[in-house]
Amino acid sequence: MVWLGTIINGVLLGGLYGLFGVGLALVFGVTRIVNIMHGEFIALSAFVALGLSMLLPNAHPLLLIAPVVIVSFVLGYALQAIFVNRAMRLPDPVAPLLLTFGLSVIVRNLMVEAFGVNPRSIRRGDFAQLSVDVFGIPIGVLPLVTLALAVVLFLVLQFLLRRTEIGRIVRATADNAETVRLMGVRPASVYNIVMGLSFALAGVAGLMLALRTTFTPFSGVERLLISFEVVVMGGLGSFWGAMLGGIALGVAQLVGLRLNPNSGFLYGNLVFFAFVMLRPNGLFGSRL
Amino acid sequence: MKRLSPPLITFAGFAAAAAAAPWVMGDGGISLFFEILLMLAMAQLWNLLAGYTGLVSMGLQCFVGFGGYTTIFAANYFSVSPYWVLPLAPLVCGLVAACSTLLLFRLRDAYFSIATWVFSEVVAVLVLMMPGLGHVTGMTLETARDIDYETFLLTNFWIAAAIAGGTTFGIYVLMRSPLGLGMLSVRDNEIAATSIGVDVWRNRFIAYVATAAGCGLAGGVSFMAALFITVTTAFDLNWVVAMIFIVIIGGFGSIEGPIIGTVVFFGIRELFTNALALTGSWYLIALGTVAVLTMLVAPTGIWPFVRDRLGIEWLSVKRDVPYAYAKPVS
Amino acid sequence: MLLEVTSLDAFYGDLQALHQVSINVNDGESVALVGANGAGKTTFLKCVSGLIRQKRGSIEFAGADILSAPAEAITRFGIALTPEGRMLFSSLNVEENLQMGGLNRRRGHWNLQRVYQLFPLLAERRLQMPNTLSGGEQGLVAIGRALMANPRLLLCDEISLGLAPVAVDRIYASFAAIRSEGTAIVLVEQDVKRASSASDRVYCLLEGQVTMHGASRDLDAEDLTRAYFGT
Repeated sequence: MVWLGTIINGVLLGGLYGLFGVGLALVFGVTRIVNIMHGEFIALSAFVALGLSMLLPNAHPLLLIAPVVIVSFVLGYALQAIFVNRAMRLPDPVAPLLLTFGLSVIVRNLMVEAFGVNPRSIRRGDFAQLSVDVFGIPIGVLPLVTLALAVVLFLVLQFLLRRTEIGRIVRATADNAETVRLMGVRPASVYNIVMGLSFALAGVAGLMLALRTTFTPFSGVERLLISFEVVVMGGLGSFWGAMLGGIALGVAQLVGLRLNPNSGFLYGNLVFFAFVMLRPNGLFGSRL
Repeated sequence: MKRLSPPLITFAGFAAAAAAAPWVMGDGGISLFFEILLMLAMAQLWNLLAGYTGLVSMGLQCFVGFGGYTTIFAANYFSVSPYWVLPLAPLVCGLVAACSTLLLFRLRDAYFSIATWVFSEVVAVLVLMMPGLGHVTGMTLETARDIDYETFLLTNFWIAAAIAGGTTFGIYVLMRSPLGLGMLSVRDNEIAATSIGVDVWRNRFIAYVATAAGCGLAGGVSFMAALFITVTTAFDLNWVVAMIFIVIIGGFGSIEGPIIGTVVFFGIRELFTNALALTGSWYLIALGTVAVLTMLVAPTGIWPFVRDRLGIEWLSVKRDVPYAYAKPVS
Repeated sequence: MLLEVTSLDAFYGDLQALHQVSINVNDGESVALVGANGAGKTTFLKCVSGLIRQKRGSIEFAGADILSAPAEAITRFGIALTPEGRMLFSSLNVEENLQMGGLNRRRGHWNLQRVYQLFPLLAERRLQMPNTLSGGEQGLVAIGRALMANPRLLLCDEISLGLAPVAVDRIYASFAAIRSEGTAIVLVEQDVKRASSASDRVYCLLEGQVTMHGASRDLDAEDLTRAYFGT
């Protein structure tokens, strides 16, 4: 019975992991770049959420979503416009990867200087500790809400991409950036928007992370690796694949921790490696 | 062979300087250069992998740490002086790297890069969990107690100098050899290289295993000198961060680049941590900024920028075009 | 004169692809640009549509200097290109591809409904993905996509390449309707006969230079062969 609880909570954790991964999948699907800053941004968003929650102590944590999304979008847009677009114009295809790597180091260490290395969390005792009893298994409300939020955001993203004009433009740019120019679209502008969206998603992920657990400026590294694994397992650029990948990792993670409480993210990583050996193209090899 | 002159001077001069160093520098200087030399060796190796073979690794800290643990563990276990077991470090790391290619070589480009990072995290956790390696508290090198401090310091320094010089010279010779040419061709165009009979997989495999072994040796020496190792310091991401920044700043795909980059790295580090007395993170922020700016302003790095502007050659691995095929430039 | 290209040089890095090319197109005209593989035909179209930056000379469209205009701005002037290989957006269905064409449309005759009227085949397949269409049908989508912008000048890069004659007929049959709305066409083809039959004038390119130019009906086979292959 206790294993069933572990698995269910693993699935719910998978919602958070899926949320981590979808921003990375979006950027990769359109720009073909793996954004190493992604993890640091999740951590940064957690700190921003912490700051906001201290400024607005009476606000329900979920209300913080709106300001976090807006600030994150702007930051992502700016970073792409100022730095990453430049790196993408360089002849070396490795350049954007190394640029985001360098920026991630800067951001991480700035966070260390600004916030210190001690673990923090958002102290909202009530909300984070709530749980419901489902057939005798305690299920946290926060993880449930996180999964629901992840699904909602996925659906919103799908809607945006498939049924709006801007979504059409993004998909077309991802397909063929040169041809789309013939229709008056500046690929660089599309990349700005996509990165902004990606950061917004990372922002929400960071907020949910902050509510759920303690974090430090070093929390970004692990989240990047999780995001990356989720994206690869799901099939590069596939969102629902990322969700399923996240669930697989979430279950592996919690089962692993139950087997060995000191194992960190070992079991998640091992499942990822097993995937790479057996299904290197991921669950759904399509794009967007 | 007129073209051999600058390299000959450089390598000979380096050997002489390393031999004479203890009479010129105090203990502090020796310690610092010890670090610098090991870092140079590792940067050259990262450059070999990325600049020449096109494999960008973000997980070499795995072998630095594993080499360190191997050395200290073996020295303690066999109760011998660490120098006897030092060769185990590159051996074991080479083996681990060889096995890891079964997994890691299934991925390409950015996926390979991040997968090496994941691999390092996995190894770190396994070392943490393994009994006999000290878990969270780490391990101390027991068998160095009997070695006289000065002797220990100088021996390690000369080993580091040998490693740095050997790595640089070794890569120099390699790149001028047919194997090196093969590696360059793989980096430039994998498909074309395969079509002319270059075994892509073999080239990459050799480069990856050699780099891992080299980093293992450097790690072994480094932690042996430190007398103490923990999982946090052993598998610290900042090892590979340093390697990457050095090569970005100094220049890819050249022997001179990492040398310049290492100088800049330590220049900034000493400036920030000693002269300006700022906490540890600031020098990394400064380095990151320099690296990012270099990427945007002089994308190939300082050395190629300088070399092309001033038209100078130092440790060039360029080959002469066979006369019969040389076409005059119009 | 609608399009006036004078002494155009174009480069791919150090390689010069076009040498002093001068080509004109008048309003409502249909001009064919023929030549062997690598003659520079696609390069020319890419220069006019702004996709190639390394160029010098003069390109004037409706009196405006568009030599240094980027590709994103060219569409507003009223130039549309069906690229070599058609380059449809593979994640978008037929209708979405057409809608992309109309993104920065000028005012004019063509809209989604009218394109479907011109190509009823597309109306049937409007929700299908491009990779489920035949080559000929993809060609129709490519032209329809370009028409959606209501261009004054339509550039067609080897639209008959790899297509069955029946499919090519269908495409060429639409040119009458396109021209009747006042759009000029530049047809780049390797098939000289086909191209010249659908155009008023013909230019021939060889190794980046114009080797022949004249009215389609005055084409001399011998002269053309020489201009095409160079002897």
